Amino acid sequence: MIRADELTKHFKVHRRKPGFAAALASVFRRRYEVVRAVENVSFRIERGERVGFLGPNGAGKTTTLKLLAGLLHPTSGAVTVDGYVPSKRPPELLGSITLVMGQKSQLIWDLPPSETYAMNRAIFDVPKAEFDATLAELTELLELGKLVDKPTRQLSLGERMKCELAAALLHRPKTLFLDEPTIGLDVAMQLAIRDFVRRYNQRHEATVLLTSHYMDDVVALCPRILVIDEGKLVHDGDLRQLVKTMDPDKRVSFTLTSEVGADELERLGAVILREGTRVTLRVVEREIPAVVGRLLGPLHVADLAIEDPPLEEILRAMFGKAREERAASEAAEAGGAT
Amino acid sequence: MRRYLRLLGVQLRMSVASAMAYRADFLVEGAMSAAWMAVALLPLFVLYGERDTVAGWDAPSALVVLAYFMGVRAVVEGVVNPSLVELVDRIRTGAFDYVLLKPVDAQLLVSGSRYEPWKVLDLLGAAGVAVYAFVLRGHGPEPGHLLVGLALFATGVLAMYALWILCAAASFWVVRLDNLTYLLSAIFDTARWPVQVFRGAWRIVFTFVIPVAVMTTYPAMALLGALDAGTALASAGGALALLGLSRLVWRAAIRSYTSASS
Ligand SMILES: Nc1ncnc2c1ncn2[C@@H]1O[C@H](COP(=O)(O)OP(=O)(O)OP(=O)(O)O)[C@@H](O)[C@H]1O
Ligand SMILES: [Mg+2]
Repeated sequence: MIRADELTKHFKVHRRKPGFAAALASVFRRRYEVVRAVENVSFRIERGERVGFLGPNGAGKTTTLKLLAGLLHPTSGAVTVDGYVPSKRPPELLGSITLVMGQKSQLIWDLPPSETYAMNRAIFDVPKAEFDATLAELTELLELGKLVDKPTRQLSLGERMKCELAAALLHRPKTLFLDEPTIGLDVAMQLAIRDFVRRYNQRHEATVLLTSHYMDDVVALCPRILVIDEGKLVHDGDLRQLVKTMDPDKRVSFTLTSEVGADELERLGAVILREGTRVTLRVVEREIPAVVGRLLGPLHVADLAIEDPPLEEILRAMFGKAREERAASEAAEAGGAT
Repeated sequence: MRRYLRLLGVQLRMSVASAMAYRADFLVEGAMSAAWMAVALLPLFVLYGERDTVAGWDAPSALVVLAYFMGVRAVVEGVVNPSLVELVDRIRTGAFDYVLLKPVDAQLLVSGSRYEPWKVLDLLGAAGVAVYAFVLRGHGPEPGHLLVGLALFATGVLAMYALWILCAAASFWVVRLDNLTYLLSAIFDTARWPVQVFRGAWRIVFTFVIPVAVMTTYPAMALLGALDAGTALASAGGALALLGLSRLVWRAAIRSYTSASS
């Protein structure tokens, strides 16, 4: 189980204006600026859950994962994973978690991945029989084949990522922190990794905390999502719930088979898209039966589909709203000051 | 403990495997270490060409100091330097994250992460110089002196390692290590001379502040049978104290590690 209570991480960064004079001045008087990467974030995650972590660039997702994995010490607040404090780096905990970062590699560049695996076996003290079994399982699930015997530098991005995952899972961790594990991969590879994560989760009852910029990854894998924006947790819960509260209206899309006037469509719902004969309407849920009846009846449309609004759209609206509110309050403050 | 030994074995095997991939290096390295040895010996021959003793040291005894110097340098260049250069690289790229995620001591893991197996040649060269020095003296060291001399070699290496760890810890805060390591190498270079060659403040600096005396002079004196027990113990104790200090600084550095973004 993972618990975060009022978890906060501030980075003190050294800011310097460009130019020689500024560089010289900064030697004598360093200016620091505080980046509030994570701010009062609290949540609990039970064993075996799959949780998605969403937020725009720089929201604090990676920083939160690093705090959970013990790489960073919190500025304030507390975090425990399976009852341990990660930043103290207890070996019992480190032996049962893993962190995979899409942009960073732990594979030894000049040697084949199998050498990194041998190294990790020694580090995690995995018995030979167990190691062989796990490696066989991972090889099958990830379709590694002969990849593990090629020098890492000769692997493609996707192949490397698969080997990377295997390296991170050889000690059979019970908690997986995955930070953009599918970054830069093609759709097929993305699907393979997604599939793999779900199967690993089910087979080992492992807890999975995943961030990804591919919304599909999160939607497909995570029943629960945490949304973080500018270091603050703005939503925690069911994916459907988020969609419902943010935008309860449905999307009704169809293809026209005859000429229908714009005002006729407007009467059914707000027109979101109209491209040739393809139309998408936004319709309040309780009006769906009437609208569908009319579309299929008198209007004779084809390819009718009713869907929830896409997550991207909702998140964009969500982050946009937060930004606008803040800009407004800052403007008000500035106005009050003068 | 068993885990660390196994780990050491794996790391050694990998370094040897990488070294074997570049087998031609063996010749180059061999030639290099022979050349280095000549360069190191030259000043001694020049110096002792004109006089019999320098600051109380005759030529064979000074050779023993030089042998220690070459020995410590071989270990530093063979293990400490490559490992810590890799560490600094990992800190810069953020790959150090993966070190901290492992359930073993981070300092031990990085300290032996890379070896230059060919540096064994330098170590053999150092032993050769020591043997030659005792041939010049006309008799070998007494077994007891040999034992203390070897023990102090180990603590001398540890003292040098501690200085390196201090530099590496500094790189957590400033991330540019080059200048520090140059400085350290330059200072260590003075260890080729017996510390008695230096006068006044310098001798104090090289004995207590940056204890190069602990790395070469005292061990050499022990091997020559010219070191009293008190100084031997103080020398070893000083090295261990330095090691302890470097450990404390290292832990403070880890605490303030911020990990490269993303
Ligand atoms: N080591 C660091 N030093 C200083 N600032 C940092 C550091 N790491 C992260 N930050 C800052 O903290 C904030 C959060 O960064 P973080 O990497 O957690 O974002 P993220 O949500 O993972 O973004 P992305 O989606 O782009 O990966 C950013 O403003 C970033 O600039
Ligand atoms: Mg990130």
